Amino acid sequence: MAGISDERELAIHPIVMESVQHNAKTISNIRSLTASLFGVVAGTLGLESYPGFIFYLVGSLTVSLLIYLFRTQGKPSAYFHRPLAELWGGEVFGGLMSFVLTWTLFYGLVRA
Amino acid sequence: MGFTSNLFNLVGLVLLGHAVYSAHEHSSQNPLHLPSSPPSFSPLTTPTSTTSLPTDIVLETLFSVLLISTGIVLGSSSLRPIQWSKWAGQLEREERVKKSVKEIREGTGNPYRILEERPGFVDVRGKRKEFMEWVRKGDDLAAK
Repeated sequence: MAGISDERELAIHPIVMESVQHNAKTISNIRSLTASLFGVVAGTLGLESYPGFIFYLVGSLTVSLLIYLFRTQGKPSAYFHRPLAELWGGEVFGGLMSFVLTWTLFYGLVRA
Repeated sequence: MGFTSNLFNLVGLVLLGHAVYSAHEHSSQNPLHLPSSPPSFSPLTTPTSTTSLPTDIVLETLFSVLLISTGIVLGSSSLRPIQWSKWAGQLEREERVKKSVKEIREGTGNPYRILEERPGFVDVRGKRKEFMEWVRKGDDLAAK
């Protein structure tokens, strides 16, 4: 039943795929930039193992909050089809590799 | 928005660079693992590197990263509403305000521009009259 009501909702309020792609690309850009930045910070602070990953998750949550405040003006459902998946959790693990890269790099540089 | 985000990014990068340099200097001044120190102490007494960093460097780093992320978020391109009605309404309002040179350059303007900017209907009767005059002129020339 939920699927039928979803379809009806989409038929009444159609969704612009271009905008969805544009928003996803914007989020992905922000995530990849900030992931490297968090890696720099985690390496500089000398975080190791789990605290580093927890720092990354906390930082991603902060960035999501910033996007929520400044970009969606508190109405994420107007810009994302599923706000929980696309705004709060979108692309979080896509930036993990660049985070680890800069994390290890700056850890090695700072505390060599 | 652009100026604010650039300012945030610049100040944040300067602070981050200073913090990283300070951390590097600090770690080179007080090395954690001296090569001369015997590796006999237990892992429990190993000084964790986080506590060894001075508080002001930690605070400066965290503040700078907050500043840069705010700058990045402010500098990112604005999101577009996904609901067709709101999106089209926003486009209409934007086009009314400015003739959206940027949107045209990006190729993501109003998809109904073809319909809205088409020429008016062709005056069929006027065209027919013109054509008849042209034919008559040709007949006159042939008669002469």
